[in-house]
Amino acid sequence: MTDASTGTTALADPDGPAPAGPSGRGPRARDTVAYLRYGAGKLLGAAVSLFAVLVTSFFLFRIIPGDPVRTITHGRAVSEEQLQALRRQFGIDKPLWEQFTLYCGQALQGDFGNSYQLHDPVGELIWNRLPATLLLTGTAFVLYSLIGVWLGTRSAWRSGGLGDRFNTGLSLTLYSVPSFWLGLMLINVFAVGAGFVPGLFPTGLMESGDGSTGLAHALDVAHHMVLPVVTLVAVGYAQTLLVMRSSLLDEMGGDYLTTARAKGLRDTLVRRRHAVPNALLPTVTLLFVNLGHVVAGQILVETVFSWPGLGGLFYDALSIPDLPLLQGLFFVFAAGVILMNTLADLIYPLLDPRVGR
Amino acid sequence: MDTRVQPVPDVPARRRPRRRVRVLLASGAAALTLTAGLASPLNPAPDSAQAESTGKTRLTVAVAQSVDSLSPFLAQRLVSTSIHKLMYEYLTNYDPKDSHTVPGLATKWEPSADKLTWTYTIRKDSKWSDGKQATAEDAAWTFNKIMTDEGAATVNASYVTNFKKVTAPSPEKLVIELKKPQATMTALDVPIVPKHVWEKVEDFGKFNNDDKFPIVGNGPFILTDYEKDKYVKLEPNKDFWRGAPKFDELVFKTYKDQDAAVAALKKGEVSFVAGQPSLTPAQAAELKNVPNVKVNDAPGRRFFALATNPGAQTKDGEKFGDGHPALLDRKVRQALFLAVDRETIIDKVFRGHAVKGEGYIPPRFSDYFWKPSPDQELAHDPKKAARLLDEAGYKKNGDGKRVGKDGKPLDFRILCHATDPIDKSIGNYLKEWWGELGIGLEVQCLDNVTDPWYAGEYDLAFDGWSVNPDPDFVLSLHICDALPSKPGATSPTDNFICDEKYDELYKKQQAEYDPAKRQDLVKQMQSRLYDTGYMNIIAYPNAVEAYRTDQIKSITTMPSDAGNIYGQDGYWSWWSAVPADDGAGSDGGTSAGVVIGIAAAAVVVIGAGAFVALRRRATAEERE
Amino acid sequence: MTTTDTPTTDTPAKTTSPKSTRALARDRRRQSVARFWRQYRTHRAGLFGLASLALFVLLALLAPLLVGADVQSVTKAPGRPLEAPGGEFPLGTDKYGRTMLGLLIWGARFSLTVGFLAAALSVAIGTLIGITAGHYKGWYATVIMRVTDWFLVMPTLVLAIALASVLSRSIWTIILAIGVTTWPTTARLVRAQTLAVESRPYIERAKALGGGHTHIMTRHVLPNVMPLVLAQTTLVISSAVLTEATLAFLGLGDPTVTSWGGLLQDARDAGATTKWWYVVPPGIAIALVALSFTLCGRAVESVLNPRLGVSR
Repeated sequence: MTDASTGTTALADPDGPAPAGPSGRGPRARDTVAYLRYGAGKLLGAAVSLFAVLVTSFFLFRIIPGDPVRTITHGRAVSEEQLQALRRQFGIDKPLWEQFTLYCGQALQGDFGNSYQLHDPVGELIWNRLPATLLLTGTAFVLYSLIGVWLGTRSAWRSGGLGDRFNTGLSLTLYSVPSFWLGLMLINVFAVGAGFVPGLFPTGLMESGDGSTGLAHALDVAHHMVLPVVTLVAVGYAQTLLVMRSSLLDEMGGDYLTTARAKGLRDTLVRRRHAVPNALLPTVTLLFVNLGHVVAGQILVETVFSWPGLGGLFYDALSIPDLPLLQGLFFVFAAGVILMNTLADLIYPLLDPRVGR
Repeated sequence: MDTRVQPVPDVPARRRPRRRVRVLLASGAAALTLTAGLASPLNPAPDSAQAESTGKTRLTVAVAQSVDSLSPFLAQRLVSTSIHKLMYEYLTNYDPKDSHTVPGLATKWEPSADKLTWTYTIRKDSKWSDGKQATAEDAAWTFNKIMTDEGAATVNASYVTNFKKVTAPSPEKLVIELKKPQATMTALDVPIVPKHVWEKVEDFGKFNNDDKFPIVGNGPFILTDYEKDKYVKLEPNKDFWRGAPKFDELVFKTYKDQDAAVAALKKGEVSFVAGQPSLTPAQAAELKNVPNVKVNDAPGRRFFALATNPGAQTKDGEKFGDGHPALLDRKVRQALFLAVDRETIIDKVFRGHAVKGEGYIPPRFSDYFWKPSPDQELAHDPKKAARLLDEAGYKKNGDGKRVGKDGKPLDFRILCHATDPIDKSIGNYLKEWWGELGIGLEVQCLDNVTDPWYAGEYDLAFDGWSVNPDPDFVLSLHICDALPSKPGATSPTDNFICDEKYDELYKKQQAEYDPAKRQDLVKQMQSRLYDTGYMNIIAYPNAVEAYRTDQIKSITTMPSDAGNIYGQDGYWSWWSAVPADDGAGSDGGTSAGVVIGIAAAAVVVIGAGAFVALRRRATAEERE
Repeated sequence: MTTTDTPTTDTPAKTTSPKSTRALARDRRRQSVARFWRQYRTHRAGLFGLASLALFVLLALLAPLLVGADVQSVTKAPGRPLEAPGGEFPLGTDKYGRTMLGLLIWGARFSLTVGFLAAALSVAIGTLIGITAGHYKGWYATVIMRVTDWFLVMPTLVLAIALASVLSRSIWTIILAIGVTTWPTTARLVRAQTLAVESRPYIERAKALGGGHTHIMTRHVLPNVMPLVLAQTTLVISSAVLTEATLAFLGLGDPTVTSWGGLLQDARDAGATTKWWYVVPPGIAIALVALSFTLCGRAVESVLNPRLGVSR
């Protein structure tokens, strides 16, 4: 994640930063009552976090200097009365605390107000852009998770070998590349065409808008998706690879593998049947964290590829500042992570009964 | 994680995870195959903007903005208002040659003797796209709605504030009664909407006019399809009274990245690229060498100026803001501008796509264009600048910094638009030029410059306006009457200038009906403005756009010689565009690309297949 | 990984030796540094990272001698805008006509400074919060860890962008934006390590001997978490360099200062992303520095915790 959305976490802490963790309080999975209590605790924590996010989203964007009414009306002749009317319409003529209570009250009912600039309800705007973002980052997520797990497994199994060194080296290198830069490079080479490489892919957008439907349309969108997805996968798979690799290496030290080998099971079988499943657990945690960030999208990659998703919406909203839209987006971004983390917390004890023992 | 979980050799417990893994892998394989399938450019986007298979001609416009609203009562962005000009008629229009008023929905208009009542004759040959006749009733309803409904007044209120009453005594007659005479009655840029469609709208402040397609209109084009943030599609109105447009389809697409839009033009994915606000010199230079692409380098109607804060004040003379006091001295203001090498800026920053700044009004409007006389001109002269500063009492100290009598160093701030690369570039030059004079400069690039601006919290600022054929508006920005009534309040003033001599001339020119005399007065005003050193014109930037000649055979610019295409005051460009006879633009490169693309896709598919097969075999092995 | 003993923490001073305890401690520390280096040396990737870092730092330090501050000057730009690479300009010129090679070298100063300072800020906050949260238990720890967890789920980039657009555009804004959004990971790691350290018997003894909170945290806990903090710092620098580039690319950087991300942003502003000499070198520089720090960090980490099995 070059855009630091998950930042340094993966490399520093292969188990993922998620509070997925059983910090010693989790129950035995089979103990239903304890599990329910544990789950309720986690849910309550999530609710508190969500509320904290709600509060932050309100105040964070209020400190951005700028009067949205003026920005919107910039360059047109408007009277002070009209400005006042607009402020009234937006509800920013009231005292801050009143705005805040109103905001919280409405937000709890799922109403984030209307965008200043686009006039539509914020929820609707986000809902409309969500599929584009989910399609892009979701596809990338599936791909880099699979590639990461697969290469991580191979790397760990032959750790220290040429393949391992190549794999980790390459993934770390790609991880260090700024995603927007890689995107630009890919556009220059594979969309514009460079040297003998013809421009194979579109230079941006999500579809050519030629009115095609059904399969033709799906293929059209897929064609537009190739470069952004490749960008995201390239910079993203290192995390999964490294976590998978290190947890598998951990597992391989385990006595039970020796036992399994001693039973005469073949190497690949030992790996697939015994080592990998156990090693997957930390990876799954990481994947959940990443899944949470799927919603936050990739502001940079979306911008570079003119992708009509949430990232672009956020960036546009920031310059106004379109307060309701910013609040809504921030809330959705953070809520995605919180929900996924909570989900990971809830599932983890089921996956791994040893948790919390 | 606090504790590392130790593996436990507990085989049965791992049953479940293992099944999970297999499902995961299987779905992975499926996803990979799917993606490989998706990735294959089996259906490459039509590289030519013409959908040849259907024989339809299509004009694709790449724009930098996305549509904010399709409702003419709400839309503010240029792309949206440009599209409204295609969808709806206005009472009057502007001639593409010289922008004089020509008939629109109204064929005739005349004021009463007291200039308080205007009567418009509405044309009989304009029909809404649903077959109903467009009448004066629609126009009256539109204006009345703006006058009475706060939501409908969101963007067009300024046109109707002076209206007393709007009525439609007959389908062909629209009568507007005014509170006091108004000169802009033939420039009411309000799209007239069909009453029978719009009267069903409940909340004008929220209705975006994007729930039913095609949208009923009577302009040269009919909007048939719209996807937020993606595209807007229009088809010609076959019954348009001035004649139907030639292209079968007009599409606006949003490219957030301008380089991507330029690349799309190079490949023929789009027919036209409008810069925001202009293509960069590098892009223009690159496109000039591309076959079948024409770069339209139109003399701009904008000026780019260096504004100095003259000490912000209200109409009553109450001072506010924190402009640097040194700037109150004309010698300092002029010294600053004397150190600006406009030629270098034209050459390096605009790379020739601009004209060196002289007077306030760009040379494109030759009637009003004024040039300082040689002894009046503040030509690039750093030595003179240094002398002026010495005279003003700002001498260099030991460190080469200029300090005032109070011993404080001369440090200025300049407001710069963070989104404007030109501001940033010129800011870097100013910093160094003034640095040599011993003056410090902080370039404050903000997303939102309007707030500090209105608050008078700036020393210098990059300023620019588009000038209309009639210069009254841009001249009125600097009269004392334009000052705000309260500190920080919004007001028409551009730069808090209030100069008696200028005001006097402004009033004279307003009352002058003889064109030649008025031109002379306007020139005198510019001379006065120049001497004050409040507004220093650096350049008149060109509007640079580009289009593919193998898709667009001809297109009307406005003004027709050496004018621009995008953002005109009318629908002329897209209405007049003629498709090229042979739409096959860049087919050679494309087919090769398709072949290679398919080959690449095949490799991926085979790879994925092999992956799946291997997995399956492995599973089979395991089962044995 | 955090519970494994780090080489520096193995034997607390408990023997009565003729040497003073202070000298003993110094000795022990020197030994562990030597041991650390011996092990670090075996990591080829780590050495590569270290060497390339040394090169970049050297370039940045020597930049005034190599190219001089004038390389940033737009008025003294020697070439035409956007000249292709050739004789006088091995990497071509930028949109002002300045030499790209010179700017690249000069930009290292800014990018590295931001990386170091932002990481220092982030790690300092993280360490402070981590140690105190691990040391003081009870409501303080609960509240502070809640806050940390909560920061952890914030979309970092979104937060940083919001912060950067609130404050004026300067190097400090960028440092602050990165620093205050990336500390939670460090805080969690440090807290875990603190808990592990404090559970050891000698802390108990120190307490019994009357060691105050400050004494325990600074004399016993801090030295023991330092190796971890070191590893974490290198990793944070790597991501700080990337984030700086990202923010600059979004136009949130200081336009009058030359940084690698700023160069990319300039290229985009000028509509010159197709000019490879304008775009490729800064990108590679960013990637190389980020990679080097990552490699160093991983090598340090694996020395501290061999079980990670970082390839050598």
